[in-house]
Amino acid sequence: MIEASNISKQVVTSEGRLDILEEINLSVAKGESLAIIGPSGSGKSTLLGILAGLDMPTSGSVAIDGKDITSMDEEGRAAVRAGHVGFVFQSFHLLPGLTALENVALPLELQGIDNALQTAREFLQRVGLVERLGHYPRQLSGGEQQRVALARAFACRPSILFADEPTGNLDTGTGKKINDLLFELNQEEGTTLILVTHENSLAARCSRRLELQAGRQVETLAESA
Amino acid sequence: MLAFKMLLRSWRGGQLGLMFSSLLLAVAVVTSVALLAERVERALVNESSAFLAADLVVSSSVPIDPTWLERAREMGVRTAQKASFSSMTFAGDQDMHLASIKAVESSYPLRGAVKRSSVPFATDELDIEAVESGPLPGQLWVDSRLLPLLNIKLGDTIDVGDGSFEVSHILIEEPDSGSSFSAFGARILMNWSDLPASGVIQPGSRVSYRFLIASSEGREDSFNSYADWLREQLDIHDRLITPDEAQASIASTMDKGRRFLLLAGSIGVVLAGIALALASHHFANRQLLQVALFKSWGISASRVRKLYIQQILLLGIAGSVVGLLIGWGFHQLLISVVRDWLPITLPAAGSRPWITGFATGILCLLGFTLPALWHLPTQSPLAVLRRDSQAQSLSSLMRGSLGVLTVAVLLYWYSGNLYMSMAIMLGFAITAGASIGVGLVLLRLGKSYGHWMGSIWRLALSNLWRRKKPSLIQMVGFSGAIALLMIMLVVRTSLVDEWRWQLADNAPNHFLINVAAYELDGVKTLVEQRELETAGWYSMVRGRITHLKNQMPSAVAQQGHESLHRELNLSWTSALPEGNSIVQGAWWDADSVAGNNFSEGLAPVSLEEDLLHELGLALGDTIGFSVGGLTFDAVVTSTRSLNWDSMTPNFYFLFPEGYLEDYPRTHMTSLYIPAVEKLLVNDLLRSYPTVQVIELDKIIDRIRTIVSQVTRGLEMMTLMILGCGILVMFAAVSLSMRERLQESAILRTLGSTRRLILGVQWVEFTTLGLMAGLLAALGAEFAVAMLQRFMFSLPFSWHPWLWIAGPLGGGLLVGVLGVVYSRRAVVQPPLRVLNSL
Repeated sequence: MIEASNISKQVVTSEGRLDILEEINLSVAKGESLAIIGPSGSGKSTLLGILAGLDMPTSGSVAIDGKDITSMDEEGRAAVRAGHVGFVFQSFHLLPGLTALENVALPLELQGIDNALQTAREFLQRVGLVERLGHYPRQLSGGEQQRVALARAFACRPSILFADEPTGNLDTGTGKKINDLLFELNQEEGTTLILVTHENSLAARCSRRLELQAGRQVETLAESA
Repeated sequence: MLAFKMLLRSWRGGQLGLMFSSLLLAVAVVTSVALLAERVERALVNESSAFLAADLVVSSSVPIDPTWLERAREMGVRTAQKASFSSMTFAGDQDMHLASIKAVESSYPLRGAVKRSSVPFATDELDIEAVESGPLPGQLWVDSRLLPLLNIKLGDTIDVGDGSFEVSHILIEEPDSGSSFSAFGARILMNWSDLPASGVIQPGSRVSYRFLIASSEGREDSFNSYADWLREQLDIHDRLITPDEAQASIASTMDKGRRFLLLAGSIGVVLAGIALALASHHFANRQLLQVALFKSWGISASRVRKLYIQQILLLGIAGSVVGLLIGWGFHQLLISVVRDWLPITLPAAGSRPWITGFATGILCLLGFTLPALWHLPTQSPLAVLRRDSQAQSLSSLMRGSLGVLTVAVLLYWYSGNLYMSMAIMLGFAITAGASIGVGLVLLRLGKSYGHWMGSIWRLALSNLWRRKKPSLIQMVGFSGAIALLMIMLVVRTSLVDEWRWQLADNAPNHFLINVAAYELDGVKTLVEQRELETAGWYSMVRGRITHLKNQMPSAVAQQGHESLHRELNLSWTSALPEGNSIVQGAWWDADSVAGNNFSEGLAPVSLEEDLLHELGLALGDTIGFSVGGLTFDAVVTSTRSLNWDSMTPNFYFLFPEGYLEDYPRTHMTSLYIPAVEKLLVNDLLRSYPTVQVIELDKIIDRIRTIVSQVTRGLEMMTLMILGCGILVMFAAVSLSMRERLQESAILRTLGSTRRLILGVQWVEFTTLGLMAGLLAALGAEFAVAMLQRFMFSLPFSWHPWLWIAGPLGGGLLVGVLGVVYSRRAVVQPPLRVLNSL
C-alpha cells in the first residue's frame, strides 16, 4: 500500500543544514496499522507529511498503491490524496464557522458525493454525536471535537488514514475513548492506519511501529507487543 | 452549487459581514450619487431649455436659411423663428417710443411658457397667466411701462411701422427674456406673420434673428442628427447657443454642487474600497486553514481557485444588487430633501447610474478582494501539520498597486475629472506613504522611549512595534479614512462659505439702468424715501466701435460679432471694481492717467479678457469709438476677468476718470428691494418710464433655495460618507483583533488586571489614531489645496484646525473603537474568549 525508500529530509536554516530525516525505509500493507513514535523533534510529523504526500523528501521516494508520488507535481499528489487519504489532527482542525454536521459533510461535498449530509449524519451517529449535529466546534468539548474529526476522516472512506497525535490535546480518559473509537472505526472500515504518537499505549495497539530518534530509524518495523 | 453553500456558511459564520457591508456601501454610495447627479443634470438641461425656449438655438445676424426649415420639417424637428429689433411705436399724433420688439412664429415658445396679464404692473400671481404661445396676428403684448410712455391703455391701437396693432395683453416674462442690458426700449411681442405688412424690416435694418429648435416627443435621435447636420451649416453670421450657456449663474452653483457630490461619492468609493481591502485581507487569513484542509483532502489548486472566484462573483452580484437597491433608496431620500429646488418633476434616470453602481461592485471585488485572496490556492497542504507552512500572500506592494490602480480607474471613470482624481489619489498616496515611512519611525521612537513611561505605555508601545506590519496597515487605513473625511469636510465648508453671499438676505436683486442725468436725483430720492441702499451709482455712455487696430472692421466681422454692430456700455472708474481682477497689463494709477503716457485723445481702456480674444485684439492695440457722433481712440492697457455671479454692475469696457465725462451719459445701480417694497418698481416706472428695471429677485430667490437645498443634500451625503469612514475604522480595528484578544485572554489568565489590559489597548489604538490623524492632516491639506485651485476655483488657504482636529479626533475615535472592540477580552472568561477564536 505504502512503500517508502531511503527518505531523507534536510532543511537549510540560518545555522546551516539540518537533517530532519535520514534514510528512512518502510512498507505498510493494506489494512495494517503503523505507529510512528519518538520524542518531540525526532521528525515524526515530517515523516507523516511526506508519507501522506503533503511534503516532499529531499531524497528518496514514496509510492502509494504503486504510484510514485514523489515524482509527481502537487496537482498529481492531490489527485492521489483525493479519495484515498484521510487525516486526523492533534488540534482537530474543525472549521469554526461550520456545524458538526457541515464539518463532516464538507469533504464529501467537495468530492461531489450525493447525500453528503445523510452520510455525515450516519458517521456522527457512529461516533455518538447524533444529538450535537447542529453544534459549532466552540460549543463542543475537546473529546467531542475530535470525535467529529474522526467522523469527518472516516466519512470519506479513505483507504489510508493518517493521524497526527490524535489524542495529544486530550486528557487520559477522553484520549482512551477516542483511541477506542479510532481503532473500532479503523477495523470496521478496513482502513490502513498510520499514526504519530508519543504514547506507548496507543502505539501498542498498532500492528507495527517505527521509532525515530533525531530523524533516524532506530527500530525498524518492530512487531508490536 | 458548492460555492454558494460555502458562501452561505461563511456568511452565517460572520466572516463576510464586513466585506459585504463594505461592498454594499461602495455600490450604494456610487448608485445614489450617480442617480441623483444624472436626474438633476437632466432636469437642469430641461430647465435650461425652458430658459432658452428651445433645446438649441442658432443666433444669426441674417435671416434663417429656408433649407434649414425644410429639412427640420422633413426630420420631424420642431422649429420657431424669432426676430429682435428696435422700432419706433406711435400712439396718436403726439406719443412715440423706441421699443424693443420681438416677432415670433406661432409655434413659439418650443419650451417653457410666456407669462402675460390683463393687469398693468401686475405682481399678484393670480393676475398672471402662463401660456404656451405668443400673440395672435394683429395683436401686441407689451411691457407695462409702454402704457404710461405712450399714454395708452389695454385694448388701444398703436402703430408699428406701416401696421396698426391692438395692445391685447401685458407682457410679464418670456422664457428667453434674459437680462441683456442692450435693449433699453419697452419690450413688445408681436406675431411673425405681421412682419411683412408692418414693413419694419428693410434691407440694412439691424435685426437679430434666432432659430429655435426642439425635439418632438420620442424623436430625440432624429433631433440629434438634425442638430449635427445644422452645426455643419453654420457660418460666420451664426452662433449656436446651448442650454448650458443659457443659465450660467444657477448652472455654476449646481455644477459645484454636482462636483461636490462626485467628490463625496468618489471619497465614499475609496473609503469603501479600503474597508473592502482590509476586510478581504482579514477574510483571507481566516480561510488559510480551510484551504490547507481542502488541499490535504486532495482538492487541486485550480479547483480551490475556482471555488473562491465563484464565491467572490456570487458575493459581488449579491452585494451589488442589494447595494443598488439601497443606493436607490438613499437617492430617493436625498431627493425628498432637495425636491423643492426644481419646480418641475425630476426626469427618470437612464441606465447609466445602474451600470455604474453594478460595475463598481464588481470592480471593487476584482481590485480589492481578489488580490487579497489570490494566494489561497497556493496554500500548502502541509499547513495542516505545520503552522509555519503558510502560503505567501501577494506582496503588499503588489496588492497596494492593484488597489491604487482600481481606485484610480474608479475615480476617473466615475468623476470624469482628472484634477479631482489626481488630487484624491495624490492626497491619499502622500498620507499612505507618510504612514509607512514616518509611521515606522514614530513606532520605533515609541518603542525606544516607551520604557520611561509606566508599564501600560511600555507594553503598548512595544506591542505596536512588535506587530509593526499590521500596525502600519492599520495606520494606512486610519489615516486614509481620516484624510478623506477631512478633504470632504473642508471642501464642503469652503463651498458653503462661498455660497453664503448668495444666501445673504440683502444681496442686490434689482438693477436700475438707463437713468438719465436729469432723472438721477428724482430716482435717488424715490429710493431713499423707502430707506433702500444701492450698490453705488455708475455712470455710463453708449458708444459704438468704429475701428480695431486703426482699421474699420470688415462687413463680415461686423456681422460676426455682436459688439461690432450694436451700442456698447462704456464706463469709467479710478478704482478696480470689486469682483474684477487684472489678467494682463496693469490697472491705472494716478500717474499713468495723468496724461504722461497717452498722447492727447488716446484714452487708456481696460477690456474684459474674453472679449479681447473674440475681437482679435492684444494689449497695446487701439480701438476707435464713436459716442453720439463724436469719435475718439483708446489703447488697451489691461484685461480683466469679471465675477458674473456678483449682483453688481459689470462692464466690458472701463476707462479712467477724465475721458468720458463730457459725453451724454446715463446712470445705473443695483439694489436690494425687499418683497414688501416691490411696488417701488411700479412707482418708479410710472414716474420715469424710460428707466429700465431688471428684476432678478425671482432668480435670486431660486438660487437661494437651490443653494440651501443643495447644502442640505451635501450634509446628508457627508453623513453617508462619514458612515463609510467609520466602516474603514472598524475594518482596520478588527484586523488585529484576533491576536489581541488571544494575548489579552492569556494576560488575563496570568492575572493581569482589567485596567492593564484595557489600558494597553487604549494606548495602542489611541497612539495609532493620533499618528494617523497627524499624517492625514498632511495628505488632506495637500489634496484640498489642489481641489480648491483646480476644481472649485476657490482661493488657497491653510487649515490649521486640520492639524489639531486630525490627531485629536483620530486618537479619540480610534481609541474608543479599539477599546469597545476589545472589551470582550475582559468581560468574558478567558477560556471562552480563547475557544471562540
